Amino acid sequence: TEIAHSEEMPYTNNVGPGDPLLAKQKHHHRKAFEYISKALKIDEENEGQKELAIELYKKGIYELERGIAVDCWGGRGDAWQRAQRLHDKMKTNLGMAKDRLHFLANLVALSKLGVEGETERSDRKPKESPLK
Amino acid sequence: QTTTTTVPQGDVDTLLQQVADEAGLELNMELPSGIPSTSIGTATVVSQEQDELTQRLARLRQAE
Repeated sequence: TEIAHSEEMPYTNNVGPGDPLLAKQKHHHRKAFEYISKALKIDEENEGQKELAIELYKKGIYELERGIAVDCWGGRGDAWQRAQRLHDKMKTNLGMAKDRLHFLANLVALSKLGVEGETERSDRKPKESPLK
Repeated sequence: QTTTTTVPQGDVDTLLQQVADEAGLELNMELPSGIPSTSIGTATVVSQEQDELTQRLARLRQAE
């Protein structure tokens, strides 16, 4: 029976949270979450400080990219499947965070140029941005 | 008088379930033997954290 069993599972089933790759992925997720959470908090308050939010988004994006770069297809089992789902979620957030970063960068660039008049007026102006 | 050992197991399970519900954890997920249950917990949290970022980013995008 042992031979039949090993044929069923040709790959080493090295499950476990202790796997260095999964730990690495989790580490980068953790850092990315910290940075982007802080960025979102500032961003959501919408009271200037956009430069700080931009810096935090950039750091978060860097961590997401490193987390996504971790190969999580080398193993089988629940832990690896969860890692693969996390990989997909991080990819989604990478795209969205990049979009937001570009949006904010344009906003800051415009206000520096004084295109929108006084920089103090930071009211949101949907669909009126000349760059869109 | 060892009252500490007389708490029925059922009460403990109920309490655990309550705590898990409040924390949004799925206690009844299959727990494969040999894997510490903490790895399930943290993996779920990790996944939820990414979901939270997605939701907040989506909200900001709608407000643009």
